[in-house]
Amino acid sequence: MSRRPPRGEYIETDTGNKVARKATLVGTQNIILGGKTVIQPEVMIRGDLVRSVQSASAASSSGASANNTAVSIGRYCFLSRASCLRPSGRFYKGAFTYMPLRMGDHVFVGHGSVVQAASVGSHVHIGARVVVGELAIIKDYVRVLDDSIIPPNMVIPSFSIVAGQPARVIGEVPEGGHEAFELRDLYKTVGNNPHPVPT
Amino acid sequence: MAPLTPYTFFQCPCSEPSTLGQPADRSSGAGAGAEPDADDEDRAFDPRAPRSNYSLYPLEYLLYCEDCQQIRCPRCVAEEIVTFYCPCCLFEVPSSNLKSEGNRCTRSCFQCPVCIGPLTTTSLESHPDPSLLAAPDNSAVPHSGPYMLTCSYCNWSSTEIGIKFDKSNGIHAQLAKLRNGGTTRLTAKEHKERRKDLLQGGGPSTRTAEAAVDGRDLDVDTQFANLKAFYQNQLADSSSGGNGLSSLGDLGFASPNSLSRIMSIYTGGNLHDKRSKSRIGVMREALDSDEGLKIANLDESEAVEKLQEEGYDATVSTEQMSNQTPNLGEAPLHGRGRFTSELRPVPYLLRTKRSKRCPICRHIISKPEAKVQATRFRIRLVAGSYIPSITIRPLNTPEANPGAPSDTLQPLKPVQFLLTFKNPIFEAVKVTLATPAKTPGRFASKVTVLCPQFEIDANTDVWDEALKDGDKDKRRRRGEDGPHQAEAGKIWERGRNWVSLVIEVVPASLRLDLLALTSPAGGHEVDTGPLREDEDLLEIPMFVRVEWEADAVGDEIGSAPNKDKEGREKRELAYWCVLGLGRVSQS
Repeated sequence: MSRRPPRGEYIETDTGNKVARKATLVGTQNIILGGKTVIQPEVMIRGDLVRSVQSASAASSSGASANNTAVSIGRYCFLSRASCLRPSGRFYKGAFTYMPLRMGDHVFVGHGSVVQAASVGSHVHIGARVVVGELAIIKDYVRVLDDSIIPPNMVIPSFSIVAGQPARVIGEVPEGGHEAFELRDLYKTVGNNPHPVPT
Repeated sequence: MAPLTPYTFFQCPCSEPSTLGQPADRSSGAGAGAEPDADDEDRAFDPRAPRSNYSLYPLEYLLYCEDCQQIRCPRCVAEEIVTFYCPCCLFEVPSSNLKSEGNRCTRSCFQCPVCIGPLTTTSLESHPDPSLLAAPDNSAVPHSGPYMLTCSYCNWSSTEIGIKFDKSNGIHAQLAKLRNGGTTRLTAKEHKERRKDLLQGGGPSTRTAEAAVDGRDLDVDTQFANLKAFYQNQLADSSSGGNGLSSLGDLGFASPNSLSRIMSIYTGGNLHDKRSKSRIGVMREALDSDEGLKIANLDESEAVEKLQEEGYDATVSTEQMSNQTPNLGEAPLHGRGRFTSELRPVPYLLRTKRSKRCPICRHIISKPEAKVQATRFRIRLVAGSYIPSITIRPLNTPEANPGAPSDTLQPLKPVQFLLTFKNPIFEAVKVTLATPAKTPGRFASKVTVLCPQFEIDANTDVWDEALKDGDKDKRRRRGEDGPHQAEAGKIWERGRNWVSLVIEVVPASLRLDLLALTSPAGGHEVDTGPLREDEDLLEIPMFVRVEWEADAVGDEIGSAPNKDKEGREKRELAYWCVLGLGRVSQS
């Protein structure tokens, strides 16, 4: 046994990311974390599923490095235990390729959920055991209730409450409910020396 | 049953009888709720009353009118539509288009008729051979038609109803021209031509051929156009006819008067003319398909046969049926599919962004940005930033067994809950609470608020808190040090802008035999019926009165003398809320 100081459950980076040691991140060079993001144990992020066919416009305008992102995550995101982020794949100009998964700020992904969306906006709450189908687009301020299955290619406009199998918009986020999407306080409650949950 | 998390609902004043009777002019409305009429004084709010369902909202759903200084709920605000947009392609639809095109997306956004999942346009041609993946050079071969709509959730595709599209865009317009099975709709011109052909064909078979035209090819749109043209002719004829006898013939469907009235209703009012009063007479009805006659096909044997073959699984559910839009391309009466094999893709219903107005002073209290993609609000006056929020959590006293299941409340065993009030405004507020000693309803639980009067500090700048961090931490921990007992008249804990206090509840026993024993003798008949729905739910009505001092609003002329007095005025807000604490164990 080494005599290093006891290691915490999380690796805390300079930008404030808290990544559990027991999380599985595949292809880390293709994963971008915006900072202050929590990745709990048993989370899997498939950074290896990178775009295999370069789109003509993107390849000419920006360099190859910008195109190699498979998963990009904004600030103050929270990936709960056993959730999975997986870029979605599709046929593009006759060949199969993966599309990058973009996630905004303050996105909560619940326990055991699988996200294969093309883009997830900011201030999105995805409940537990949710499946977000391939190439789905979730806009800002969306609440996905537990056990929903969002069909592939679905577009969910802002301020929707979504539930069901297949998911449908069942309501609107009320005006006063916007602050509930903030994940700053939740961020403080996890890590190697967590703050107590505020009352 | 899933454990119930404690909740708080607030009552909107719009449902209060005292405000309902009053005239709308209540500009000084702050005190109205706090000073109930004399006959009103004893009236406690009953969360179980059937009407309460309509006035109780979680705090997030409530808005606040700054001018009336009153809470507003989704039920009482007046909504105005700012933008229509398609929830799928997120394109804005101008309101002028709505009148002509209807309230559905007219681009290429469709929902699956079977499972309501989104449909995607895909090429009918199969994907290229996987071995071609190795050679990326030939990947630029574009897809070419025909196209179909497919659902990636349930694998339905428009080829099931025999519909394919030539182009990959403008599906809505293409679909409108296609009938199930892929045949295109006949235009009015084609109808005429076909009819002419049949007539020219002549012979004894003309009548039967014509009947065939009646039966199948006449769709809703054409029938309506034919009928309209026919009746217009009839009206023109009858107006030139001689004067009849009485006005009795003016009633009924065969009279020109009622006909022109009906037509003006259904065809946009341009048919109504002033001469109609002089017209009397009886007109004939449509006689053939050219005049819009459609003979009902009463032969259901086909449907019966299909039902016998495929069973009820092949039939359409009510929900699927109601999702279907009227299909103008099909024959009337039988245009609505009864089998899942006849369902057509459903264009997406448009969605709206709406602004909200106060019902009394007409000020806007919520207004989103008009652009579809924008999520900001120009005006957003939510109750959460004006009235203290209330959170509830059970207070685990040391003697309580931590391993005990806490999802239900044990009857007749006192429980303590911690109520935390958080002040959102920048002034210190004084809060007064009142609850009935016993909850309303058959099973009355006893309620004691240990500290019904307290003050919450102002919601000061976050930086102040950060600078005074050490001090605050000390204050917070003081409560957790020793054996902290809930004392009457004292708050439990206090923070920067929050105060928590203890409420003690003795849940009622749900036993019906006890109900008969404990009820006051000589009273009215005791209802010993079986337990009704949600009667085991422990809900406490609580009256909250908030008082604070604020800068006087100088928008009223009458308030000028008040303003001289230090420029401060006393405000108060009072409302009922309901604390849902949990379910009482039934064992």
